[in-house]
Amino acid sequence: MATPQITLTSSDGVDVTVERTVAERSVLIKNMLEDLGDSGEAIPIPNVSYLHAIQKLLSTRPSSARSSSGASTTRTTPPTAGDEDDNRRKTSDIEEWDQKFMQVDQEMLFEIILVSNSDACLVATATAPAAKVKAKAKINPTQPFTNHFSSSSLQAANYLDIKALLDVGCKTVANMIKGKSPEEIRKTFNIQNDFTPEEEDQIRRENEWAEE
Amino acid sequence: MILSLNQLPEEILHSILCHSHPRSATALQQTSCRFGDVTKRPLLWRHYCRTYYKFWDRRHDIHRKFILPASSVDWKALFILRYQIDGSVTQLLDSILASQAGRIEKFRAVIEFGYDAKDTLLRNSQVQDGEDHLARRYYARALLTCLHRSIAVPEWDKLRRGETVSLDRALGAFDLFIPESGYGDFDELEHAMAQVVHQFTTSHPDFDDQSPRAKALELASWLRANDLTGIESGREYHSLEHNFLGMALNSPGHNSLPLISAVIYCHVAQALGIDAHPCGFPFHVHVIVTPQTGFDMDGNKVTGTEPGSPMYLDPFRGARETPVSDLRQQLIFLGASETEQSEFLGESLPSEVVLRCSKNIVNSIHSATRQFDFHATPVDIVSAKYAASWSSMLLSADSRPMDLRHQLSLLMELFATDFPSDIFLVEQYVVPLFNGLLEHEHILESLHVMRAVDEIPKQIHRRTGENRAVRYKVGQVFQHRRYHYRAIITGWDSECGAGEQWMRRMGIDRLQAGRHQSFYHVLVEDRSVRYVAEENISLILPDIEDLPSSLTSIAGKHFKRWDRVAQAFISNVRDEYPDD
Repeated sequence: MATPQITLTSSDGVDVTVERTVAERSVLIKNMLEDLGDSGEAIPIPNVSYLHAIQKLLSTRPSSARSSSGASTTRTTPPTAGDEDDNRRKTSDIEEWDQKFMQVDQEMLFEIILVSNSDACLVATATAPAAKVKAKAKINPTQPFTNHFSSSSLQAANYLDIKALLDVGCKTVANMIKGKSPEEIRKTFNIQNDFTPEEEDQIRRENEWAEE
Repeated sequence: MILSLNQLPEEILHSILCHSHPRSATALQQTSCRFGDVTKRPLLWRHYCRTYYKFWDRRHDIHRKFILPASSVDWKALFILRYQIDGSVTQLLDSILASQAGRIEKFRAVIEFGYDAKDTLLRNSQVQDGEDHLARRYYARALLTCLHRSIAVPEWDKLRRGETVSLDRALGAFDLFIPESGYGDFDELEHAMAQVVHQFTTSHPDFDDQSPRAKALELASWLRANDLTGIESGREYHSLEHNFLGMALNSPGHNSLPLISAVIYCHVAQALGIDAHPCGFPFHVHVIVTPQTGFDMDGNKVTGTEPGSPMYLDPFRGARETPVSDLRQQLIFLGASETEQSEFLGESLPSEVVLRCSKNIVNSIHSATRQFDFHATPVDIVSAKYAASWSSMLLSADSRPMDLRHQLSLLMELFATDFPSDIFLVEQYVVPLFNGLLEHEHILESLHVMRAVDEIPKQIHRRTGENRAVRYKVGQVFQHRRYHYRAIITGWDSECGAGEQWMRRMGIDRLQAGRHQSFYHVLVEDRSVRYVAEENISLILPDIEDLPSSLTSIAGKHFKRWDRVAQAFISNVRDEYPDD
């Protein structure tokens, strides 16, 4: 039986078709499918670089994580931190491949949040030369995100429901935090603990009420 | 450097946190200084207070706090308080479900949290599944309505003490007894009333230019035309739900008896500056509208000291002035004296209107049990009966002590079987009514017994020895062989444990197996509790959907849930019947 396919489309007009079950391993795409409705329309991804990154990652998925048809995964727990069961999965349990995937996913996620949050920013980048983006072969995260966007992204922004996109992004991050201990959150998001031991102890006591 | 959570601006972190559970915020707070700061903002905790807790006890004055600048309130502390109350109420409810003993104190502890307990109770009263969802729903709902009654009863008590209580509160108190009305406090009712006033004023911009008489008629006609007063044709006049002000306002057809129609009319009229009151005309409540001092109903100045004559209306029927001569004629026909006539044609006090409503409810219940399918009424009959009983208990006080005695036994019976969580209300509001009377000691004694029985663990019935002969189990459903009602077994004795008198009256010795057979305590589909001989039990194996909702909604009193395989209820009285 044919597995359902979905199309991911970047703002600069590149389409990629992937199996839905595979694409859903991305927390972001999964949420977008749920929240924006499964209309069969292409899922908008603001940046072609990320699109390629996803494609690459999907194609290099370890064979152990695929079923014979390639359609569904053999894992019982998908590598999404945002699942309802609230299980406190340790970051170390996540396979290396998943970690890599999550990393790109996270970055793309933050970028989408930032872009959809800032209309003004989009207007500003509308004047940026489109060629600059097309020329980029690799993601360069150290560059300000505005550089990734071309005038076509403004068009993209016009037809996308920006508010909905921002909401999906924020919900996704919220889901990634859900059910985790402070230490697990630090690992997931690579946060440096800059509290003194005294401060840390005090703040822990202040929040004891929330422990179940 | 990789684009990370740390680089997101504060407003985005705020909206991420708004999508998170407060527990996530506390966890994030402990990760680093920056997140520690972001998660402390009062705005965030105000958001949590708003989204997680809808109902707040009056002492918080929450609506005023919501308007104040966020930083002037310690929202996090307030949230923590509510979170902890939520936890305590949940724990108390769990413990009420876990054992039949000591429930009264736990009820009291929950009710003491006041409206802060409501969100937790509401949540538990709506659970759809779970190991003990029937019991959970039942007790959460029992406590919720107890909370509502503890708001309603003091209003009637104020009336009794001669304090001023507005008509809509005095009558809205009945709605607070009825879970189906959907009202939990007077603010909600006032809001519904204010909406009607608003609708009228926006559709009548030139209203103030008219004469008082024209205004009074215009309002009556508008209310009737919008179905806000009266009863749609083809409906049963005496339907129980027609007696409740809040239900009449909320239901799509807004059907109400003349009394309720009159109260709706008077409320809107008073809000518009018209001096309207229900009038105590027998059989059919009218409205009396009095002109402003120094004027008549047509807006003309009157000379002399005599006030302008009032007009009479029947908002139930619509925009028709009832000539006072018609009313007088009817009264003369009924044989009313001059003084009685002026009494019947004068304003009714709120306490009189409440008593009248209480009598109407009793009448509706009589006609409902006589004429209709018992299960079809949208109002729980026992709760309605209880409301009528409380109101007439409190408001017919002083006048007829004999009446009071009869009322008392009714109230005490209802309270003991269906509303034991109200023991505090009975102590506070009923006991003082009988100060100096013989009944005073009786009530105190029965309350004392109730508490004592509640505190000791139930006597354990094991299936050993003579109990081995008991055939049926707690939770099984049966049909009575002679009376054909359906019921659930809630307990048993190896032989008839009732008193000699009861056995004689019921003719127990005329049964085939007499008194020396197993007897069962059962919960019947009409909500009554009975004691049935084994030979009259014919087990049935129904699907839960086949049982009437009147039975499944009270099953939670003794049972955790339905067992689809065994087609019986699962016992929550194992502390009494451990082997069932």
